[in-house]
Amino acid sequence: MTSDYKRFALTRAGQAVVVVLLAYVLTFLVISVLPGDAITNTLRDPQHGLSEEEIQRIVAFYGLDQPVIVQLLLSLGRFLTGELGFSLQSNLPVSQIVGDALPSTLTLATSALLIAIVFAVVIAYGAQYLPGKWAAIVRSIPSFFLSVPNFVIGLVLIEFFAFRLHSFTTTDPNSPVATLFAAITLAIPVSAPLAEVLIASLDHESRQEYALVARSRGLTEARLFAKHLVKPSALPSVAMVALIVGELLGGSVITETIFGRDGIGTVVQKAVTGEDQPVLQAVVSLSAVVFVAVNLVADLASPLLDPRVKLREKVGA
Amino acid sequence: MTLNTKDRNVSADLLTVHGLSIAYGPTAVVHDVSFSVAKGESLALIGESGSGKSTIAKAILRLLPHGEATATGRVALNGQDVLALPEKHFRPLRGRELGFIPQDPASALNPVRTIGAQAHEAAALLGETDPTVRRAKILDVLEQVGLPDPARVYDSYPHQLSGGMLQRVLIALTVLPRPALIVADEPTSALDVTVQKLILDMLTELRRELDISLLLITHDLAIAAERADSLVVLKDGSVQESGPSLEVFASPTTDYARSLQADVPALHPDRYRNQRITLTEANHLEEAHDGASRTQAVASPTAGPQIDVQGVTKRFSAGGKDVLACDGVSFSVERGRTHALVGESGSGKTTAVRLLLGLEQPDAGEITVAGQSTSGRSRSDVREIRRHLQLVYQNPFTSLDPTWRVGRIVREPLDEFGVGTKAERAQRVREALEAVGLPSDVASRRPAHLSGGQRQRVAIARALVVRPDVVVLDEPTSALDVSVQAGILELLSKLQRELGLTYLFVSHDLALVRQVADTLSVLRRGQVVEDGPVEEIFHRPQHPYTRALLEAIPLAAVASEPAADQQLAKATA
Amino acid sequence: MTATIGYTQLRNVGTASKKLTAGLPPVTVILSFAVVLLVILWSLVPGFFTSFSPVTGDTASKLAAPSAAHWFGTDYLGRDQYARVVYGTASSVTSALVAVLIGLVVGSIIGLASGFRGGWLDSILGRFVDVLLAIPGFLLAVVIVSSLGFQTINAAIATGVSAVAVFARLMRAEVMRVRSATYVEASYLEGGNRLHALLGHILPNAYRSVLVLAVLQFGTSILIIASLAFLGYGDPPPASDWGLLVASGKTYVTAPWLVYAPALVIVVTVLSVNRISRWLRKAK
Repeated sequence: MTSDYKRFALTRAGQAVVVVLLAYVLTFLVISVLPGDAITNTLRDPQHGLSEEEIQRIVAFYGLDQPVIVQLLLSLGRFLTGELGFSLQSNLPVSQIVGDALPSTLTLATSALLIAIVFAVVIAYGAQYLPGKWAAIVRSIPSFFLSVPNFVIGLVLIEFFAFRLHSFTTTDPNSPVATLFAAITLAIPVSAPLAEVLIASLDHESRQEYALVARSRGLTEARLFAKHLVKPSALPSVAMVALIVGELLGGSVITETIFGRDGIGTVVQKAVTGEDQPVLQAVVSLSAVVFVAVNLVADLASPLLDPRVKLREKVGA
Repeated sequence: MTLNTKDRNVSADLLTVHGLSIAYGPTAVVHDVSFSVAKGESLALIGESGSGKSTIAKAILRLLPHGEATATGRVALNGQDVLALPEKHFRPLRGRELGFIPQDPASALNPVRTIGAQAHEAAALLGETDPTVRRAKILDVLEQVGLPDPARVYDSYPHQLSGGMLQRVLIALTVLPRPALIVADEPTSALDVTVQKLILDMLTELRRELDISLLLITHDLAIAAERADSLVVLKDGSVQESGPSLEVFASPTTDYARSLQADVPALHPDRYRNQRITLTEANHLEEAHDGASRTQAVASPTAGPQIDVQGVTKRFSAGGKDVLACDGVSFSVERGRTHALVGESGSGKTTAVRLLLGLEQPDAGEITVAGQSTSGRSRSDVREIRRHLQLVYQNPFTSLDPTWRVGRIVREPLDEFGVGTKAERAQRVREALEAVGLPSDVASRRPAHLSGGQRQRVAIARALVVRPDVVVLDEPTSALDVSVQAGILELLSKLQRELGLTYLFVSHDLALVRQVADTLSVLRRGQVVEDGPVEEIFHRPQHPYTRALLEAIPLAAVASEPAADQQLAKATA
Repeated sequence: MTATIGYTQLRNVGTASKKLTAGLPPVTVILSFAVVLLVILWSLVPGFFTSFSPVTGDTASKLAAPSAAHWFGTDYLGRDQYARVVYGTASSVTSALVAVLIGLVVGSIIGLASGFRGGWLDSILGRFVDVLLAIPGFLLAVVIVSSLGFQTINAAIATGVSAVAVFARLMRAEVMRVRSATYVEASYLEGGNRLHALLGHILPNAYRSVLVLAVLQFGTSILIIASLAFLGYGDPPPASDWGLLVASGKTYVTAPWLVYAPALVIVVTVLSVNRISRWLRKAK
């Protein structure tokens, strides 16, 4: 590993840490914009059934009677040590709530990502190599995917496959088939930007002079694709996959609600309706951490994918 | 007009093209073109942009965009019609029988794969499957094309090598499978002049050794005449004239070929001489009129040179490396004269010009324009000096804002320097457009609707509208077709005479410089290696680099014929 | 300024650009404009398009299938579904417009400052944009709405804030691209100052891509706001935001038109907006 690369990696990692911290702060500030004593209102809501003693303990724990800045610093301190606080609704540790919900969401998100990649690659390949009219139709698929809201996709899939064809039932959301359809719902809007980046890359690369020269050496289109077009297209595609992770996290809120799954998305729903700030804060911050981490990996991989990537930051002149 | 194919022994012809026509959809771009290349022979297709020469080359290789272009006619390789072959049967011919050398070496290799990895594709055509044998053959051929360290090149990525080296690699890969015919599409246009000569020499050598025929595509008549046995002149997709190259070159029969020949700078060094004031004339005039100026626009009555650059040095640091772009560069230009800065890439001529214009600050040295120093000045001072010092950029396609109309573009300097009233500015714009030979309705159009030559005229009008004393011309014609080039140079000479302008002409083309400049400086790696009056340098070059540049001019031998010398003597008598 | 430029490279760049076909745009684009126009009219003058009320209905004819009288059928309170869709357009579409404007204006300013000034300002603003990007857009919108209150206008603000990052990035990239153009340097040589370069050259050349993005974001915003409404984060009933209509309709399994009608309207509208955006991108 060259020293240039080490410096590059360290700079990027440092920036990533700064972004995560700032994201935490931003989320906190947004959440704490709540007017007046809303938090204590939530706590004192008889529905939650908390005793006066418990309420006082929570108030002390979060420093709710102190200025916002202090609360922020306390909160940030706790976050950095891995202490995520307690839910205002159920008094359970947030880390437990998140931990319980995580596997379901992870399964969903990972399957959705894989399906999205498959969709994107198939669409991009079709757009390049299908005959004229079909290629044009395939090229307009991403745009179509972006026009349908994911809740409509979910409802339609449920209507068809659950109610009409009985491929799965909504009462068992964690069955493989149900998970598959939930993953497809989540994957469709997310595959569109990836497909578009791939199509644009392949178009661009196959028009390059070197593609012409390679063809002049008798390469078939299939070999040209595998040996020449894939690698230069890898860099923008990997960058896009990293960006998509954010969309997956956001889209899971709706998808899980529709398919009745018990994942992070449902946790968010409950936290919003119940005004459960610690849970919201934790979930959003963790999502930011995941996003930043994935993008950091993509950034660090970029010089390996494309040897032309400059490792030194040029100051804008 | 076609080559008289009936007279030739057809079986000796490697490639025969007969009645080739190509159309993109409804638009025909190539009309009924015929020619043939014999075994071991070389033929050049010459034409300007839009002549169809590249399209023909791609059609022969069947690399035209599938479905967009249709080619009709007959293209026979060793007697077999290849246009009619199904793709499956044609593909084995690519690379093995027909090779291709592209124009821009930098973009002709996949940037994310090593040279070695890509070379194996070419080596695969030999039918050799053992990778170690393949690698040996690759290294062999890399050495054959004159690359000093083949193993290092093998492991490098394209962006780590220079343009010249990349082109050698491409030639090596094309030659490796021993094709019978190589199609070379402007193989040296992207390279420096001295490198150009080396590459073309190397190519000729290889051809002789390996008995390979060459179809050379070029816009440069001189290169074609020097390197090809026969040539075909194309215009707008049709053949204008064809025949043995030296014949066509010496006595062209069609008007178009004649005008192409007339535009070759090396052949007509005195073309604009009657337009410009020569040194001797000027000396006579100065004596006669006792120092009073004949010209209209008199700036300052300062004695001494208009431009004076003394010992200028500039260092850049890029990616950890220090580059000495200019090292003690000095030159000066008298008022009303044209001085040329000649050099190849990396010579420092661009940096020198940027320093002169105040776009960069020198690390050392003095720059004076019309008696005022431009170095170490505040931004507003430099701005003032710019009223008298304007620049015409090389690329007319990027130096004009595409969202602006021509009238506003030409008026911009007047607006920004606050010259005159609105009506006066409009008047000056009209005059400027007229002076550059553009119709007045051009003012309401956008650059996208103008040709390259017209855009460059707009750029010149913009430079002149503030009535500067000095105009810097940075390769003003290298982005234009040869026929358009002549018009621009003529215009520039005329304007210099009428307005008493001082020109600093930057170029890599010595032959061109001879036509337009009075004095010149030759730059190499940031240093001035030679300078002086143009004729001196051409007849008695001192420095070996200058000699190399002179030798690199195609048909340099022809240019220094005794006949040309006699003409020269007459003009200066 | 450049040293050696490949001869034919420049040739390919410069030939006079093909004029836009003198004829009309393709049929699909015209249709798209028609749809968008209709939707805008729905939001401005809903009363013009239907005589039914979106809030009160005739319970006698509840859950009726689509017919000549009720184009989209009726809901569980006997309200005309078509009227509900038409009256819901105002908040669904105008809010999307607000979201795009927020993203466009704030994002462009940030991108302009970042790209033009460079240096430390670019670093700071860059981090800020990174943060906005790091928090998943939908989650950020959810959090903002939960703080400001459950109203569609807040959903619009939330969507706008999460769009700021996308606009900022694009504007910055465009500004940096144009900033290094030859004609910008030429303007300095002709006596222009930095403000002139910014307003006269950089902005006119940079805004086109941003405008195309704005149209695209308009479609995306409609979707996001509909999704937020679906989850109940928009105006509460009896409002009839499109997303809310789908949400309330899905419980009535026997009356699928309650879901499909608003869903179809959403899809057709966003499809049309996307079509227009693609056409603009090609016509640049």
